[in-house]
Amino acid sequence: MTTLRTSTLRLFERLRDERADDDGRFVVAPASLDEAAALMTVAASEGLAVAFLGGGTHSNIGNPVTADLVVTTSNMASIIDWQPDDLTVVVGAGMTVDDLEATLAERRQTAVLPETAPGATIGGVIATGVSGYRRLRYGPTRDRVLRVEMATGYGKAITGGSLVVKSSTGYGVQRLVTGSLGSLGLIGTVALKLWSRPISTATVPVTDAAGALATAYRPLAVLETEDGARCYLGGTEEEVASQTAELASDGSAGLSWPEPIGEPIRLSVRVPPHDVGETVALIREMDPTRWIAQHGVGIVTVGFERLETDLFGDLRSWAVSRRGSTVVLDGAELIGDGVDPWGHAPAAIEIQRRIKVSFDPASICNPGILPGGL
Amino acid sequence: MHVANSCADAGRSGSEVFTLPHDRRGDDPGRYDVTMDPTVELIDLLGASRVHTHPVDRIIYAKDSGVTAGDPAVIVLPDTTEEVAAVVRIASRAGIPIVARGAGTGLAGGAVPAPGSIVIVLTRLNAIEEVDEIGRTAWVGPGVVNLDLSRALADRGLHFAPDPASQQSSTIGGNVGTNAGGPHCLAEGTTAAHILGVEMVTADGDVVIVGGEAPDEPGYDLRGLIVGSEGTLGIVTRVLVRLIQNPPDVVTMLLVFENIHQAAQTVSDIVATGLVPAALEMMDQPMIVAVENFMHAGLPTDAGAVLIAEVVGHPAGTVVEAALIEEIGRRNDAREIRTAADDDERALLWKGRKNAFGSIAQSAPDYYLSDTVVPRTRFVDVLDEIYAIAERDGLRLMNVFHAGDGNFHPLVTFDASEPGMSEKVINAAHDMVHAAVAAGGTLSGEHGIGLEKRDLMHLVFTPEDLDAQARIRDAFDPEGSLNPGKILPAGARLTEERDA
Repeated sequence: MTTLRTSTLRLFERLRDERADDDGRFVVAPASLDEAAALMTVAASEGLAVAFLGGGTHSNIGNPVTADLVVTTSNMASIIDWQPDDLTVVVGAGMTVDDLEATLAERRQTAVLPETAPGATIGGVIATGVSGYRRLRYGPTRDRVLRVEMATGYGKAITGGSLVVKSSTGYGVQRLVTGSLGSLGLIGTVALKLWSRPISTATVPVTDAAGALATAYRPLAVLETEDGARCYLGGTEEEVASQTAELASDGSAGLSWPEPIGEPIRLSVRVPPHDVGETVALIREMDPTRWIAQHGVGIVTVGFERLETDLFGDLRSWAVSRRGSTVVLDGAELIGDGVDPWGHAPAAIEIQRRIKVSFDPASICNPGILPGGL
Repeated sequence: MHVANSCADAGRSGSEVFTLPHDRRGDDPGRYDVTMDPTVELIDLLGASRVHTHPVDRIIYAKDSGVTAGDPAVIVLPDTTEEVAAVVRIASRAGIPIVARGAGTGLAGGAVPAPGSIVIVLTRLNAIEEVDEIGRTAWVGPGVVNLDLSRALADRGLHFAPDPASQQSSTIGGNVGTNAGGPHCLAEGTTAAHILGVEMVTADGDVVIVGGEAPDEPGYDLRGLIVGSEGTLGIVTRVLVRLIQNPPDVVTMLLVFENIHQAAQTVSDIVATGLVPAALEMMDQPMIVAVENFMHAGLPTDAGAVLIAEVVGHPAGTVVEAALIEEIGRRNDAREIRTAADDDERALLWKGRKNAFGSIAQSAPDYYLSDTVVPRTRFVDVLDEIYAIAERDGLRLMNVFHAGDGNFHPLVTFDASEPGMSEKVINAAHDMVHAAVAAGGTLSGEHGIGLEKRDLMHLVFTPEDLDAQARIRDAFDPEGSLNPGKILPAGARLTEERDA
């Protein structure tokens, strides 16, 4: 790293994250969007590559980034404005999903964030664009992001979207930022649309996942794993009871989600929903340790202890042939040297590049983390 | 906002409206040289029958459903994506701006053509293809009419959820452009939640597909930007729509109240229970009278307000939800609660609501319609302010609301031939927007910004926010040739940033 200006060092020292391990990098924890914007301005002028850290649960996603400066959201980790009667919440990016959901549950509400992501933060979930299993019923996380406040790579604090449940007012900056993996700047706060938790829920084992998907009226999720298939229902008690009967099965009360996959190699296979059955058949032949297929959504998450490079290549080719993708969530280096976690550059790459350059002109925000070197 | 059926805006000529932001002209002052004539090339491409330059055609396509008129040079009606791309390349070479449009039902001036522009009419791209009943998606042309799509899918038990009041004529492409809403977006979200991918022609004339049947495409979510971009980022030539299962049961209720506050409180109380009905629509008394005189839907004209509440789903759920709504209505002194006995009665109730704007023509020569949205808990406060503004200025106000979403559509009826009246109405409408913004609301819930609200964007966004939006636009359309002058006010791109 080049020698830093004294003023830069003073700023970093002032904002140092007391909780972070000192591994030779600067780890700073701004407490406001303005502080984050000031950091980005300094980082841009010093040419420092910046990584953003929430719970660290998604830190292996994407191309590896060597960061000079790590910005954590641990000082922006509280609920800022919860309006239960509006079904909206504004929350600091550093708050964990579990803490937020636990608070919302006091009023029987949910932000429909990933169900099994211990330690994950709101900022991390929005930056990765990851959704929970209930996306089948409530849509992906990105559809519930009403507004984001962020510090851009060019050092400005900006707001995208509005704190109302419907808006057609300008460009969907909040939709762009969701899933951008910190490549455009730091997400400081997020406003989310909330849902009421159903009065009653049930987990119903089924023999035929595709059949359950066709039969049930808007289930919360239909998951298939190495242990079989389950249909997850929510609604009034009478509704859940009737739907369970219609599935010709006995359910158990509550939602028992599968344990998260923790294998060293973790893949996310994304295909059109009608190809999930065939994808599952293909994956079974690869002898994975764990897998969870989201029927009706088109995502199969797979865990391996080890995986042959050729087999991985076949799976990726299959997904691409279905106009989908196979993304390596963890352990690309264990599959083989130079395995690209994404697979291919995104469509409209020129437009994608111009977006990156205009939000991060000095290329300091998680440089190269996205496909196509964005 | 929208001034309809009138010459209220006659003072604003096309060229005044289209004073282009200096920073969007690039370095070439001759970029919008409207004397360049691409007509010959366009006729070679499409044939004379699909290229129109006659003054009458240019007048027909000079407007959307607002009154602000533009001045296109030529109108083209392509049949295919390839033809659209070829038109864009011709326009690009000639340095001529392009404005895409569907049925022209927009109210914010989003499809009003820049002077000398090529209008690309996309209504002939109207195929419904690749319906996937398992994945519950379909690829459709942007020219497919909203209601035709749901009708075509009815026998497969599927529908497209966004249902703007214009759904009998508005197109899917237009719905994408404005991120359109409708009564049933309360539970299902607006158009952005129902578009999984688009095929589009870029400003360079390339054809790209962003998004798709497979979820979570790696890279930036360009699809999410295209929705609501009013034709300024690309020209959408095919749309992958998400389809929703038709509900096994529907309960539609009409709740009748003595005054608007009881109705508004009922809405707040319903939302506060956490129940999100399929729709929660409200009309005040002047609107009820106008609709009833026009439609004869059986609405009580002496009521202060009516609420249409609809719950859908499994019958074991709807019965409970309907009972809850009834209980909340009674608690707020509903004087009558009617439940539609069958599909015909339900259709009649909805027909009254969806033809609300059409019924206005009977009561006044002109109307001015606004579209703002506020946090739902501020709905009653802002409603009072809106009535106070109308009373202050002696204006006739009627209201139809997507009440569950906090989305207002205050509508002022007037006679534009009265001197000074148009200015008075516009002034009052601006005050109503200010009231919504002061309550934490925003400019538009579903109509878009277009021309009408472009210069109000600073009310809800800082210069830095607008600069960020301008960066996005420039990334898609560096030359500024796609629907110029819409959404962002002049000078939105902060020049010192651009020069840096």
